[in-house]
Amino acid sequence: MMGAQPFETIVTAHHAEIFRYLRRVTSRTSEAEDLSQETFLRAYRAYRTLTPEANVRAWLFAIATNLTRNHFRSEKRRRVAYAFAAVEQRDTDPDGPEAEALFTEARGLLETTVRGLPLKQRVAFTLRKMHDLDYETIGRSLDCSAESARAHVFQALRKIRVSLNGHQLPQMEPSR
Amino acid sequence: MKVKPQACLKIEVDLVAVATGDAEGAVRGRVEDHIGFCAACRGDFQRYREIDGVVGALRRSPADGEGAVRARETLESRLADLRSRLMMYGVFPSPLGNILIARSEHGVSLVEYLGERTGFKSSRLSQVGGVEAQEDGVEVEALYRELLDYLHGKRTRLEWPLDLRLARSDFQRAVMKATVAIPYGAVASYAGIASDVGNRSAVRAVAQALRWNPLPIVVPCHRVIGSSGSLTGYAGDKLSLKMQLLGVEGVPTLTAHRDRRVARDAMYVRDRHEVEYCLPICGSLASRTLADLTLFASRERAESAGLAPCSACRPDLHPLSA
Repeated sequence: MMGAQPFETIVTAHHAEIFRYLRRVTSRTSEAEDLSQETFLRAYRAYRTLTPEANVRAWLFAIATNLTRNHFRSEKRRRVAYAFAAVEQRDTDPDGPEAEALFTEARGLLETTVRGLPLKQRVAFTLRKMHDLDYETIGRSLDCSAESARAHVFQALRKIRVSLNGHQLPQMEPSR
Repeated sequence: MKVKPQACLKIEVDLVAVATGDAEGAVRGRVEDHIGFCAACRGDFQRYREIDGVVGALRRSPADGEGAVRARETLESRLADLRSRLMMYGVFPSPLGNILIARSEHGVSLVEYLGERTGFKSSRLSQVGGVEAQEDGVEVEALYRELLDYLHGKRTRLEWPLDLRLARSDFQRAVMKATVAIPYGAVASYAGIASDVGNRSAVRAVAQALRWNPLPIVVPCHRVIGSSGSLTGYAGDKLSLKMQLLGVEGVPTLTAHRDRRVARDAMYVRDRHEVEYCLPICGSLASRTLADLTLFASRERAESAGLAPCSACRPDLHPLSA
């Protein structure tokens, strides 16, 4: 009676990615933890009404995005998140110390810029460039057209470019 | 400040799309043509390529694994909690007035007569602690269809998994389980159910337990009557619904001066210790109270409950007139 596939399989298949997405758009692990749990609890309440042909992944991204937008509805909260978010230290590219230093710097700047973007641009950029969602799906998540979603990503890239002005960037594999 | 030529402004969106691997073939050709002769845009293009490389590396870099594991663990326990609390319900019209049907993950938990009312707030479900109720017509729609078939006499069984958690006590659950065993088209007495749950003197307690039956129809408390044959009561003050339900199952009833009762003389009888069914006049049956008897609306109903015709009174040879 309940749902076409067990909900556990949905959690197993998508939880890690949704968490990563929320970690990226909120910049904070604690908020990503809360919002990812909320995303799946909401999904659980509603998944029985999904049609068998529904794109579960896109649906989960839409729920997560919606929650994120509500969460950041207060601009103050966003600013606080932005101000306190620390640039994470991670393992870096093994292409020699110089390339590594360049990459670390570029990534830091890029992350800072993305964090400072208006929410729609930040979400559209992250969904497109980090999670490879198509513009139709991004538009549905953001209650806008595919064209607007595309424009948000363009604006995001433009701002990133400005923020990286004067910085040497490492030569790396293209994203796709 | 240097102003960008119109052609460059026009192609900027496409240039960024192509440089970041986000454009189709025709657009790519146009952009390549443009940067072939525009050095400034060629520089921009190169810059966006570099940015795309950093974005790609960022995309491939590992996530916060520890946080993800922690979030997943907490999610599992919150999901288990939600599962145990969540009940889906729908309100539907029926020949017995509006009916609310609710189910949990374990089974159907509530069937409630709402009469003219349709709102969730008027339902018992809104008053139960520890339950998260969610309107979900789709989930309970199939149950409703089966219930309608039942009420229209097209179905004699509702083989639903049941969740008895809205019962008020273990005693009530025991009474409900005993009541489920009364076959379609038959009636037994409160005293009989009291015997079934091992306490012959608990007749009033049985009646109270069935008055608050959270699963009427499915747990067929309409098939339980007084030892005198009187219908007694139903779901508070809904005696007419009891008559209606018995009517659906073919049980003959009479109304004499305000007293509503089953037409005992028009029903086959089974002593609770026997495996045969009898005519109502067989032996001493006619003079006994219903405490130890079950009455059947028809031979067919008795036989589909696994009973054989009595070898003394031979109801098979002398059936009651319909």
